[in-house]
Amino acid sequence: MFRLRLLPWEYAVRNLLRRPSRSALTLGALAVVILLIFVVVGFIRGLEQSLAVSGDSDVVLVYSMGADENIENSAIAGQVPGLLTANLGVIQKRFGEPHASAELYLGTRVTVGDQQGLLGLVRGVTPTAALVRRQVRIVEGNWPGPGEILAGRLAAAKLGVQTQQLAVGQQLEFEGRTWKISGHFTAGGSAFESELWCRLPDIQQVLKRQDLSLVALLLQPGANPAEVVLFCTQRIDLELQAVGESEYYASLQRHYKPVRMLAWLVVGLVAGAGVFTGLNMMYGAVAGRIREIATLQAIGYRRRAILISLLQEGMLLAATASLLAGLVALFWLNGTAVRFTMGAFALRVDSVALLVGCGTGLLLGMVGALPPAIKALRLPVAESLKAV
Amino acid sequence: MLNSAKFGGLLVVAASLILGCAESDGPVARQGAATAPDATYLLTAKPTEVRGVAQACQECENDELIAVEGRIGGVKKPFVDGIAAFTLIDTKLNWCADSEGSATPWDYCCSDKTGKLAAVTIIGSDDQPVAKNARELLGVKELSKVVVHGAAKRDDQGNLTILAKKVYVAQD
Repeated sequence: MFRLRLLPWEYAVRNLLRRPSRSALTLGALAVVILLIFVVVGFIRGLEQSLAVSGDSDVVLVYSMGADENIENSAIAGQVPGLLTANLGVIQKRFGEPHASAELYLGTRVTVGDQQGLLGLVRGVTPTAALVRRQVRIVEGNWPGPGEILAGRLAAAKLGVQTQQLAVGQQLEFEGRTWKISGHFTAGGSAFESELWCRLPDIQQVLKRQDLSLVALLLQPGANPAEVVLFCTQRIDLELQAVGESEYYASLQRHYKPVRMLAWLVVGLVAGAGVFTGLNMMYGAVAGRIREIATLQAIGYRRRAILISLLQEGMLLAATASLLAGLVALFWLNGTAVRFTMGAFALRVDSVALLVGCGTGLLLGMVGALPPAIKALRLPVAESLKAV
Repeated sequence: MLNSAKFGGLLVVAASLILGCAESDGPVARQGAATAPDATYLLTAKPTEVRGVAQACQECENDELIAVEGRIGGVKKPFVDGIAAFTLIDTKLNWCADSEGSATPWDYCCSDKTGKLAAVTIIGSDDQPVAKNARELLGVKELSKVVVHGAAKRDDQGNLTILAKKVYVAQD
C-alpha cells in the first residue's frame, strides 16, 4: 500500500564525489584487492586448463609400472612400440602407419646464452608424435632435424629467459651438446607448450640410452582402452602399465589440489582484506554524516531507504573498482606465462575468473557498507541531530 | 563488538567447512565392499586338483585346463577397468603389513614376485573377454582369495594367462 520512497540515485553518486580523495583512495585500494583476486583465480584457472587440455581422450600412455605419475622415472624397452603395434588391433592406422609415438622425456639443465643451470623439459620424439599429439601445431620454422630443437610457445617462460633467446636459429646447450632452434610450436595451451622437442635418436645418443620413457598410442574412434591395459596386464615380463592420457592429467590435477586449495585460501584472505578496506572507508564516510542521516530520517525517509543509499555508495565504488581491475586483468594479465614445477602455463582470465573477481568485488562493496550503515541507523534521531 | 565476534566466528566456520570438505580419493578409499556377483561365472564348490600360482607358472602347458588358487593383487592396480581381468599372486607370499603404511598393500612390493604372478581373464560363452569389471562380476576386491578354472595360455616369454570360465571365491 505504501511504497518505500528511496533516496535519489544521484544522492549516492554525489556523496562519493563530496570527498574525492577518500573515494579515490578507496577505489584504488579496492581495485588492487580485486586485481589480486583476478591474478590468483587466473592462476588457478590457467593451471586447471593446462592440465585439462593436455589430455587427449583417445590417447593411451604406456609406461613402466613403478613410475606412477612421474613419467620422468619411467624406463621401458625400446622394442615395446613394436610389440604394441603388432599385438593390438585398436591402434589407429592411416596408410599403414600405426599412430604410436615412442618418446623419451626428461628434465635437464639447459644453458641459454650465458645463463646456466636452467631447468628445462626435453622430449625426444619421432615424426609419429605429430600424428598422436593432435593439438600440436608448428607455428614457425620446421620440424627438428639432427641436432635441432622445436621449442614450445611457453618454453622460454619455463626456462626463465627472454622469448628472443629462443628465436629460430638461436642455440642452447644441454647434456653436453649444442642444439639449434628449428622452430616453435603451440599445443592448445597444454603442458607440451613448455617443452623442448628434439629427435628421439639424438637424445638417446647423448644420454647413451636405448630405452624409452613412454609410448603414446592414438586409438581408433570408439576403441576400448581396456584392451591396452589388458595387454600390459598379460605381459607381466614387460612390467608396463597403461593409462588414458586424460586420466593421467586428471591425476596430476589431484596432485596439485593442495596448491589450488591454498590459492583459494589466498583469494579468501585477499577478499577479507578488501572487506576491511571497504569497512574503513564507509565507517569514515558515515561517521561525519550522522546529523545528515538523522535529518533524512526526520524529513520522512525510512531507515531502509537510507540503508539502501549507503549500500549504493559502497557497491558503486566496488563495481567501478571491479571494472577497472577487470580491464587490467583482461588486457594486461590474461595470457601471461607463469613458470611452474611441471612446466609453464598461461594465466587465464576467463568467464569463471571474471565471475569470481567481479562477484567478490560487489560482495566487498555490500559487506563493507553494511555494518557502518546499520550502526549509523541505530542511533536515536533526536541524539543524532545534536551530533557534531 | 559482539557483532564483530559473530562475524569473525562465521568466517572461521565457513573456512573450516571449505577445508574440511576436501575429498580423499586415494587407492585405499576405492577398496570398497564387493557388489552382487554374477552366478554364471561362479563355482559353489572349490575345484579339486588346485595348484598355486607359482606351481602353475612352472608346470602348466599351453592350452592345459587348470585350476589355480591365488590372491587378487601383485600390482598397484590389479583390476582392468572395463574388462573382467585381474592379476593373481601366489597365496604363499605375504602382502604389505599394515604397520608399513602402504596405501596399496596388495601390490606385494615387499616380496619377490618373480614367477609367482599370473594374469586372469574371465571369458564368456563366446570365448571373448567379458566386458565388465571383475569386481562387480565376481563380487571380489583386492586380496580376495580365489580359485580360477580355465585354459592356460603361455607366451614365448613364459607369461601365464588363464582364460577362466569359472571362479571360486573363497570366504576368508
